[in-house]
Amino acid sequence: MLEVRQLYKSFGSEGVLRGIDFKVDKGEVVAVLGPSGSGKTTLLRCISFLERAQQGEIIFDEMRHDMSHISKRMIRQFRMQMGFVFQTFNLFRNMTALQNVMEGLIAARKIPRQKAEEIAREMLKKVGMEDRAGYYPDQLSGGQQQRVAIARAMATNPKVILFDEPTSALDPELTGEVLDVMKKLAEEGTTMVVVTHEMGFAKEVADRVVFMEDGLIVEEAPAEEFFRNPKKERTIQFLRRVLTGADADTGA
Amino acid sequence: MTQRLANILISAFPDMLAAGFKITIPLTVLSFLFGMILALLLAIVQVANIKVLKQISQIYIWFFRGTPLLVQLFIIYFGLPSVGIVLPAFPAAVIAFGMNVAAYNAEAVRAAILAVPVGQTEAAYLIGLTYPRLMVRIVLPQAFPIAFPSLFNNLISLLKDTSLASCITIVEVMATAKQIIGWTYESLALYIEAAIIYLMFSTVLTWIQGLLEKRLGWEAKEDRPKERVKTRAEG
Ligand SMILES: Nc1ncnc2c1ncn2[C@@H]1O[C@H](COP(=O)(O)OP(=O)(O)OP(=O)(O)O)[C@@H](O)[C@H]1O
Ligand SMILES: [Mg+2]
Repeated sequence: MLEVRQLYKSFGSEGVLRGIDFKVDKGEVVAVLGPSGSGKTTLLRCISFLERAQQGEIIFDEMRHDMSHISKRMIRQFRMQMGFVFQTFNLFRNMTALQNVMEGLIAARKIPRQKAEEIAREMLKKVGMEDRAGYYPDQLSGGQQQRVAIARAMATNPKVILFDEPTSALDPELTGEVLDVMKKLAEEGTTMVVVTHEMGFAKEVADRVVFMEDGLIVEEAPAEEFFRNPKKERTIQFLRRVLTGADADTGA
Repeated sequence: MTQRLANILISAFPDMLAAGFKITIPLTVLSFLFGMILALLLAIVQVANIKVLKQISQIYIWFFRGTPLLVQLFIIYFGLPSVGIVLPAFPAAVIAFGMNVAAYNAEAVRAAILAVPVGQTEAAYLIGLTYPRLMVRIVLPQAFPIAFPSLFNNLISLLKDTSLASCITIVEVMATAKQIIGWTYESLALYIEAAIIYLMFSTVLTWIQGLLEKRLGWEAKEDRPKERVKTRAEG
């Protein structure tokens, strides 16, 4: 459904993405793993055009375009189909939770205010935040803010939601509530790409795992197989390192 | 203090106060409003990176911050008539003061816009907002409280700077004092009295500033510095 081909991105002379072929099918949850600096964030940012790739092609259902030469209008069209959840939430701080969720509906999709509010409340309910609709971001915990951010990303009914380490900025006791929401979305068939360091989540929820290192996809496999039987030396090392942490009991 | 001096000061007080309310305050308010509109334009063309206009804006600010206000006032009131633009004193002063304060306000607004975390801008683009809507709905409402203290400082400076209008025949507080000195020769006492009038006005303004900041919850938020202003989410 969403695919990028031969994606290259460098900052200055440093090649950060060095020929990425990546795709996600409808209803699929893809976890993107990899050490720090491997280019995971950059990949999501290129897909959503927050960074401009030097080379690459994006194919999104029937839309297909060169990623390095693309007009603002085309970018908007691609973005209309995507949701994005940031590590740092990035809620609009001058708006309540409800207004945050409504804004994309009213501003970009011209949905009448009343209908937009209806949808927004439904989304907040989905993430368990309906009783905090009138709160400002400053009045919410990190986990609550992230759940509102997820509601905001879902409200516009995107075909795929991109998550960039959605729980990394949270205190450990708050990650659970966010992961639970994401799990629920996955069960409902939402197409998701999740950059994460939560191995438990990747193992349990993802259909497929993509392992990146140094701007390349090193290994990619169905989640179950990836964790049970990693093939590449680098992957094995990585898994050994991260799984001897808090997730040791889930290790192979 | 002699009885004569006391009488002079007492009778001068209402005259100066009246000049303050009739001239100094309207001059300050009108100039500031004009300057504020201009400042928004000057700031936005810079942060939006609109070619040419951005350069014009920078040159504008460079000129108006780099030359004395009195010179600017004289150029507009005494200078422009020689190219056929004749303005009455009051509008000339509003334009000169407004254009001057615009340069300072533009810098305050620009800095405040840049202090709004980039992550929100990115989030706004991703949910489909256009640039104008992003500005109006998200960036400016958050930039305004950040800029507010600087803007208010500029307002108080402007209040005092309007005394320069006495140099182009406008009878505001300062000119009123000069006139009374003209027939009483009590310069020290009357200039001090003028100073007290300005002090009263600026004290009220400072008090209003505090009130607004409190009422609207605009004090600098304690958690603001924590937020990232970088161009990227954590790498
Ligand atoms: N705006 C930028 N300018 C210069 N270099 C950048 C920029 N953004 C990313 N990089 C570099 O690109 C590389 C990949 O960064 P990226 O943020 O994509 O990694 P990541 O896999 O998301 O890492 P992490 O797990 O720490 O989030 C890093 O070496 C980083 O320093
Ligand atoms: Mg990252």
